[in-house]
Amino acid sequence: MSNEKKFKEIIAQYSKVKPEEMTDEMRFREDLGFTSLDFMSFLGELEDSFDIELEEENAASVYTIGEALDLMNKLIEE
Amino acid sequence: MLVRDLIENSVEKYAEIPAVKWLEKKVIKERSYKELGENIKALRCGLKAEGFEDAHIAFIGASSVYWIESFIAVISGGNVSVPLDFGLPKEDLIELINRSDATGVFLSPKKKIMVEEIIKECPKVKKIWLLTDDEVEGDKILDSYTALKNKGVNKEDVPAPKEDKLATIMFTSGTTGKSKGVMLTQENFATNVEAVSYSREPGMIMMSVLPIHHAFCLVMDWFNGLSKGASVCINDSLMHLVRNMGIYKPHVMLMVPLMIETIYKKLASVDASVPKAAVKANVFGENLDTIFTGGAHLEPFYIEKFKEYGVDIYEGYGMSECSPVISANMPEAHKAGSIGKPVSNAEVKFIDGEIVVRGTSVMLGYYNMPEETKETLVDGWLHTGDKGYMDEDGFLYINGRVKNLIILSNGENISPEEIEGKLALNPLISEVVITGENNALTARIFPDRDYAKLKGISEEEIKIKLQKIIDEFNKTQPAYKHLVGLVVRNNPFIKNSTRKIKRQEVLVDEAMD
Repeated sequence: MSNEKKFKEIIAQYSKVKPEEMTDEMRFREDLGFTSLDFMSFLGELEDSFDIELEEENAASVYTIGEALDLMNKLIEE
Repeated sequence: MLVRDLIENSVEKYAEIPAVKWLEKKVIKERSYKELGENIKALRCGLKAEGFEDAHIAFIGASSVYWIESFIAVISGGNVSVPLDFGLPKEDLIELINRSDATGVFLSPKKKIMVEEIIKECPKVKKIWLLTDDEVEGDKILDSYTALKNKGVNKEDVPAPKEDKLATIMFTSGTTGKSKGVMLTQENFATNVEAVSYSREPGMIMMSVLPIHHAFCLVMDWFNGLSKGASVCINDSLMHLVRNMGIYKPHVMLMVPLMIETIYKKLASVDASVPKAAVKANVFGENLDTIFTGGAHLEPFYIEKFKEYGVDIYEGYGMSECSPVISANMPEAHKAGSIGKPVSNAEVKFIDGEIVVRGTSVMLGYYNMPEETKETLVDGWLHTGDKGYMDEDGFLYINGRVKNLIILSNGENISPEEIEGKLALNPLISEVVITGENNALTARIFPDRDYAKLKGISEEEIKIKLQKIIDEFNKTQPAYKHLVGLVVRNNPFIKNSTRKIKRQEVLVDEAMD
């Protein structure tokens, strides 16, 4: 499974939007219906699933799927 | 009884048991009760050596062993602690340091960037201690937790304060927009801990996941847990809530409803064929059997669902002004949907349907706010702002609010006026009402179209500009205060005879807007 597909499946656990309907511009809170805790919990799952370490401070500026995906890919490369 | 007595009893009885556990680079660190007791004593003697007596001392930082030891040192030596929400914007923190007359600040190393600003903007502050055992290149004002502790080692102990002595000023959302400093005494805290009693073996594991500056976490996770000989484990981030349950394997946790709802999503996403015991081990870390919840209403549905995994949820009710627990469901007496029976030191009655409380955990008043104090404390009865009733078995229920506060399921109380006041400063906003729906805040704005016209802002651009204003506002606020929705109105809000917006009619009126 590609990283992006896995990433979107994790999002789908918290949202009614289906992975195939997700676009980069979608915002977590407004478009995907995440609560603030859903978002934190989602970040924790990204850490475990992709073996990366996220800083809460960096994640605070992430609003959209595209931004989260960029951050994640950057950390995987590192 | 004092908080100091509760802690010292435990230090004597449970000396070798871990009192606090925390994670450093995924490795569990521990502090025994004996070490905890020694550190608290050294810190309070250090404060005296530095000239801090009956001083107000602010705390800015997330839960840490340094935070809790310093906090107990402050109040057990007769000083007054002022725990602040470290997620607030720095100008708000500065304002609260000044408004609480703090002369010392314990500061998280993550907020070190604020040091210069505190020195510049808070003239009363004489010392800032970083909450770390790392070396700090100190100067006259900046120092560290460790340096303070070292100053107090082998010094003669500081006498214990009196029971009626002010211990803490805790800021809480005010209904008029300005946060209010709830003044709590030594007795307020200690008697609330004694009143919320449940029997567990010393060494039971509690995992603390709530913000430590909130009364529920501070009193019920920490003071209560430590008084029972629990090992209180610090959750390093909400990102790791589930992972850390697997690491610490707690027996008991305190949560706000939002956490329970989020964990439920996880339980519900597991295939039904997987045995419940396996799911429990995976999600709750094997041992969890009890969750105490409060801060907002929890749907009884979750109580039923969690029971299937062997986890009992007990809902309670309280507020900072009552140190904080007023009533609680307990293992020996509970009813789903209620907020439990009043605790032994809280007397409850109803005035025009409003729950009012009297007892040894009720606050002294609001710091430097005599008017607000007079409105809330009437003839010794604290007016909670919540409407409720009691059933024939003595269980309390809430069925509405008197005061205008939005209560989100993360337990945060939001004063809509506070946010409205800030947004209304923008000339493009003529009227604004903040509402709470689906656990998030929405700004409903009637723009100043005359101003827009003057500035050549088209109707299409108005929404874009307003969204930008909201995005900017969100950047300065903790996540729970973020405005998630925006509604742009065509017409002004309906007002009453005194020109105040009729809040209860905002949504109805919007349908016709």
